[in-house]
Amino acid sequence: MRRRRVDPAAGARAGALPEAIAALSRSLPSGPRPEIFRRAKFDRPEATSALWQLLFRVLSPLPAGNALASIALEVQARLVKSALCSQGYPRLALAQLPEDGSQGSRELLLALSWLLARGPVPEQMLAQTRVPLGDEMTVCQCEALASLVPPAPHMEAEGPVDVRHVQWLMGKLRFRWRQLVSSQQEQCALLSKIHLYTRGCHSDQNLGHLSVTEAEMLRDPEGGQKLLRTLERESRRLEAVLAWRRAEPVFWQWMDTVLGTCAPEAPAAASQPTFLPWVPECGDGELELVVRELQTLEEELREAVERRRVAWEAKARGCGRGPEWSAARRASRETVEKELGALQRCWEQESGPAPAHGPHRLVRREDGAAGDRDLRAAELIRTLRSQEACLEAVLRQLQGQCRQELARLAGALPGLIWILPPGR
Amino acid sequence: MLPADCSRRLVAELQGALDACAQRQLQLEQSLRVCRRLLQAWEPPGTWTWEPPPEPETNEEDPLPACTPSPQDLKELEFLTQALEKAVRVRRGITKAGERNKAPSLKSRSIVTSPGTTASTPPQSPGQAGGHASDTRPTKGLRQTTVPAKGRPERQLPSVRDRTRAGIGARAPRPGAGLRNQHMAPSAAPQAPEAFTLKEKGHLLRLPAAFRKAASQNSSLWVQLSSMQTSDSMDAAAAKTQFLQNIQTASGGSQPRLSAAEVEAEARRLRKACSLLRLRVREELSAAPMDWMQEYRCLLTLEGLQAMVGQCLQRLQELRAAVAERPPLPCPVGRPPRASPSCGGRAEPTWSPQLLVYSSTQELQTLAALKLRVAVLDQQIHLEKVLMAELLPLVSAAQPEGPSWLTLCRAAHSLLCEGGARVLTILRDESVD
Repeated sequence: MRRRRVDPAAGARAGALPEAIAALSRSLPSGPRPEIFRRAKFDRPEATSALWQLLFRVLSPLPAGNALASIALEVQARLVKSALCSQGYPRLALAQLPEDGSQGSRELLLALSWLLARGPVPEQMLAQTRVPLGDEMTVCQCEALASLVPPAPHMEAEGPVDVRHVQWLMGKLRFRWRQLVSSQQEQCALLSKIHLYTRGCHSDQNLGHLSVTEAEMLRDPEGGQKLLRTLERESRRLEAVLAWRRAEPVFWQWMDTVLGTCAPEAPAAASQPTFLPWVPECGDGELELVVRELQTLEEELREAVERRRVAWEAKARGCGRGPEWSAARRASRETVEKELGALQRCWEQESGPAPAHGPHRLVRREDGAAGDRDLRAAELIRTLRSQEACLEAVLRQLQGQCRQELARLAGALPGLIWILPPGR
Repeated sequence: MLPADCSRRLVAELQGALDACAQRQLQLEQSLRVCRRLLQAWEPPGTWTWEPPPEPETNEEDPLPACTPSPQDLKELEFLTQALEKAVRVRRGITKAGERNKAPSLKSRSIVTSPGTTASTPPQSPGQAGGHASDTRPTKGLRQTTVPAKGRPERQLPSVRDRTRAGIGARAPRPGAGLRNQHMAPSAAPQAPEAFTLKEKGHLLRLPAAFRKAASQNSSLWVQLSSMQTSDSMDAAAAKTQFLQNIQTASGGSQPRLSAAEVEAEARRLRKACSLLRLRVREELSAAPMDWMQEYRCLLTLEGLQAMVGQCLQRLQELRAAVAERPPLPCPVGRPPRASPSCGGRAEPTWSPQLLVYSSTQELQTLAALKLRVAVLDQQIHLEKVLMAELLPLVSAAQPEGPSWLTLCRAAHSLLCEGGARVLTILRDESVD
């Protein structure tokens, strides 16, 4: 279907747009055919369901699988609306679209473009399904023990529970931690052995030895064939993403024309349609915890500062008022301001000089030599040790706080002897 | 008994932590299975046994009976053997000298079946290896050669079908060889091939060429992608910003509503602020100033920290108010991973993985153990805060008379002060009465 493209601006080569759209559709997982995009510009109904499904794939945090494919279109549409809404998507028309896929392809195209403009969507989707060829370890702690899949709702414990049940759960958790430690130690030992035994095998001198994935591929050629095919598919997608990036500007010009064909929306009425959230629990409790912590801190500080200010004023009255005195005071003020400013920047800045997110490939080298961009285990260990010390201090401090509080509450009751467990 | 909503929250938190650990344990166990299997002796593919069982996969030929080759087979074997011997003679003459020095390379499965030989099996000279092997173990060598002789030397990973065909082809010469060199037959007979273990022969492995090519192409594409990311073309970036603005102005939702994601991000930032501030306060309060200058600085720092705490609280209250009056848009899809406060923040993700170099098993284990410890501490601290928020009010509100209060106290003390590890004992002091 050859449609005459309207070029609003000069500089767009004829044929660049179809290329761009084709690259885009190749770079997205199960991307729709390029025609869908063109039909969506004219709000054709047949393009709608493909776009719902694409948006669902893009917005879903779960890796693609059979479970996702079997979700009905209506459910997918509803979840897409909810997700877009939670990301702050401004267009109201989307929220009002029917969920049966009968109309609205132009709005869906706009939504897709909005997502594409906000972040590197094709790259992120590729990174999600990347084939890890090496043995990888993540450096940052973001998802160390976070549950990636929403937990299955637990039917029990809907009513009040005994506190001993809580104690039991805690004991179970401690056991699981110990189990994790021992399993991980074993896994590291085995991994290290495999790296050691296969040294000198890898074609890439930089790496030097095989990873578990590569060794497994040699042991099981069928699996190896599969790996090879996946790798090649990924390379094709990568090429498509690179082509898309090069051809992008044309696409945005075209999207501006698509937006132009829509009528501007009226400002919203007071009430917005509410959606069922994908996951019922919202992170509201977190705010409460932080507020409480800060309030406790504020109290503590208020007392301490008052006390010290009074003591200081008394002392300062005794000393002289010479110019060096005020100069010294000014110097101190400046130093303190600088320090506190640096402290504030620690949390204000979103991205500090932190080590790169994402996984790193483990490489065993007897001499431990590493290039510029490589990380050394020894350095990481140092960083982690200081983090550990920091966290232990925080935990001890919290526990101390609780001890004081409980002692105060329990001390109110005479006639009881509290025998604390033997110290560490 | 704890009140219902409190129970629900506590159980939900603990169950969430338990689930996260279970998931990680599952991942570890899967990885362990694979690693253990790799370190054991690798099983030969299919059913490479010396006693020829009827091959179920093939339907091309009748399963060969145990050691009674048909006359037609024998004739074919004769031809094959002669051809191979001729090839051996030719090859041996050409490359006898340099053969010993070639590094052994594992190109196909066949090495699994004849690991004892150090003969190289370059695809171009199938007979060569056969020739070599025929000095020592003719049957194995022949089997080895039939695979490349199949005419697919580049095929690094033969399919099952190929293997079984090769298997049939290989089994056929065996009785023939046995007929030829009777004295060899007993040694060639059911002698399980030496198992391949990574420990002994791991350094002989080589990655197949097709894979190497694909992997290098893949990694160079990722590198290209990273470099393109950092140098995003100006017009593309400008076009995107323009588009976003246009969509905003053309849309009805004029006031940007706080999305749950943004609330979460702000809360995270403030949480980090809180822990940093608290640590700093601790430091200052515990420091013993030596002279008036230090004392002054300490005082100023504390006052500054007080101001910052006040600012953070104010922002939090504003956030809470905004959230309360217009409920935040529903949570984003799935549960966003709770970024731990120890994490440095959102650095730009590099698309191609960098290397992490370690030098010994000990070091790797220490690294992994520390990572896990930090994650567990994160979890513990979070749980501690939740437990404090839930249990301390209960203890202070409950009536001290009932026996359940003692249970509660004991449990609270154990959970809050000992991390659930130890429990204290409470004795009734009878002397008071």
